[in-house]
Amino acid sequence: MAALLNRPLAQRIVGIPPAYYVFAALLFVLWIARPNMLNVNVMGVFIRQVAPLGVLVLGQLLVMKVKSIDLSGGGIILLVNYFISSGIFAGASLAFFIALALAIGTFIGLFNGLMIAKRRVSAVITTLAVSIILVGFVQFLSSGKPPGDVPSIFGDIYNTKLGPVPTPVIFWFALTLAMAAFLSRTVFGRYVMSVGESAEAAHFSGVPVERTVILAHTLAGFIAGVAALVQTASIAVGSVRVGLDLPILAVAATILGGVVFGRGDGGVWGPFFGVLSFALLFVVMTAFGIGEPGKLIAQGLIILLAAVFYGVRTAKLK
Amino acid sequence: MPGSKAKPMKTRLSNLLTGNQSRQGLWFLPMLIAAAIAFFLSIRTTQFLAPENLFNLVAQAMPLVITAIGQMFVVVVGGLDLSVGSVISFTTAVLALGAPDYITIPAVFALAALVGMTNGFVVTRLNVHPIIATLAMQYILLGITRLMRPVSGGTVPDIVIRSVSGSIFGIPMPVLWGIIVILLAWKLLHGSRFGLHLFAIGGGIAAGTEDAARNFGVSDKRKIMLAYVACSCFAALAGVFLAGRIVSGDPNVGLLFELDAITAVAIGGTQLSGGVGSLHGTVIGALVLALLSNGMNLTNVSPFIQTAIKGSILLLVVGLQSRKKMGL
Repeated sequence: MAALLNRPLAQRIVGIPPAYYVFAALLFVLWIARPNMLNVNVMGVFIRQVAPLGVLVLGQLLVMKVKSIDLSGGGIILLVNYFISSGIFAGASLAFFIALALAIGTFIGLFNGLMIAKRRVSAVITTLAVSIILVGFVQFLSSGKPPGDVPSIFGDIYNTKLGPVPTPVIFWFALTLAMAAFLSRTVFGRYVMSVGESAEAAHFSGVPVERTVILAHTLAGFIAGVAALVQTASIAVGSVRVGLDLPILAVAATILGGVVFGRGDGGVWGPFFGVLSFALLFVVMTAFGIGEPGKLIAQGLIILLAAVFYGVRTAKLK
Repeated sequence: MPGSKAKPMKTRLSNLLTGNQSRQGLWFLPMLIAAAIAFFLSIRTTQFLAPENLFNLVAQAMPLVITAIGQMFVVVVGGLDLSVGSVISFTTAVLALGAPDYITIPAVFALAALVGMTNGFVVTRLNVHPIIATLAMQYILLGITRLMRPVSGGTVPDIVIRSVSGSIFGIPMPVLWGIIVILLAWKLLHGSRFGLHLFAIGGGIAAGTEDAARNFGVSDKRKIMLAYVACSCFAALAGVFLAGRIVSGDPNVGLLFELDAITAVAIGGTQLSGGVGSLHGTVIGALVLALLSNGMNLTNVSPFIQTAIKGSILLLVVGLQSRKKMGL
């Protein structure tokens, strides 16, 4: 086994993030079993559903590349959704809501970053606590009742299409492109890579480790604000439960994409295909009439196999 | 590590208050918080000190206390178990299958041990991060539970129901459960070589020298695996207790329990980087959460602000514990 893994070709094959394999396998299953579902309209509908998750993943992969984690995205989505749908800012313009969402996200991301990098508090606990506080705050404001309707302009934008492709999907794709360029072309992108490899080595090479982590978290918060807008647009009526499972799904998709706490081999496109795999898994399960329990089991098994696949590989590299 | 500076020696009192230099972590401040809540409730309301309320408090807190104690085993070795909530739901579902009690009761613990062993195996031997491994297990187990029992129903064996209600020698059963569980956990964590080794392994991991314990002859991988087994078995115990209380199997009863358990462990001063923590801290952490929810009910405070207060206490207590290492 070990000798086999050390061959150059084998190295090349295991070097590809599991998301690509999962995506290809699911596509193949669908192509064999339900070829009629493989058209732009059907796929567009399913992929549009995961656009909020896809956007959130862009932030998650950033913090996971610097060996941190952000579980506060659910709280940010919930709070933004509440502000938009409850009518406490009745009659406000679209620009106001966008600015509000981005400001909330950025502020919370900055807070997370300061706690984690400066105070050196556990990232899991900090972002979990922030999420609990935000959820509690929304529950308190709303007394647990669903707020109201989302202003119709959100739905109008969400439902537009550019040719056959829904706008949210294009938006997600464009944002992923921007993030890929940002990480590969800027100094900050290099800093993220080096901090992820070894914070100590980065520190002694003159990389501002604390500032990089703070900025990564601030950006992740900003992106969570964007994801909150997309998520809000996707539902016509506000909810006090929306988006709570998204952060942990984002972690799962990021891992599937090959970004595992500091090992950034998957880049930005690995997690992108990780999210697409979740969308496709949903299509396949629906096509075969498998219920929610089966989906959970399949999702868990895929995450586990992908992680094992990666874990065995990193063990060999040590 | 970058940014760490030599700190001047502090007084014993300030060490006690911040948990610095202590292997037991920050447990004193949470105890003060718990005492303050209890004191506030006892002067503000007449019902708080009533025997029925105290009994309810213990009975409501017990599943969390048991789960949090189990979670602590894993946290001490620098891990995390997100699958405990699913283990709890799964346990109630198995108990409510209708099979004879002499089969189902040993079965739930055997299955929980199997879950723990799988978690531990994947983490230690296959080199997967604990968050990922146990998250996957959470999904898989929740899926299986929902296949077995899509909605709550069924009845659990009579002996399970009788074991959580009533009293023996004047001691209410939930209190007895608490005493037994705490004694068991104390023996495992603070009264055995196993517990000592767990702290040694965790201390090494927190300091960034993962081989430290192994170099002193501790079979670290096997001990970490056993910590995951212990965690799952304690969760199953909490599941048995809950099943007795709700008298049926419920696929959603353990939902998000893992987050509450981690919250309790963290409030109790156990550090997620490993090696630092105490059993009494964990029990205090779970009590703080239980007192909060009990107090909110008694004082008619909106139950919805409770969540926000819980998060704030977590942030406060954890924010006081500064570590050298950055990250998870």
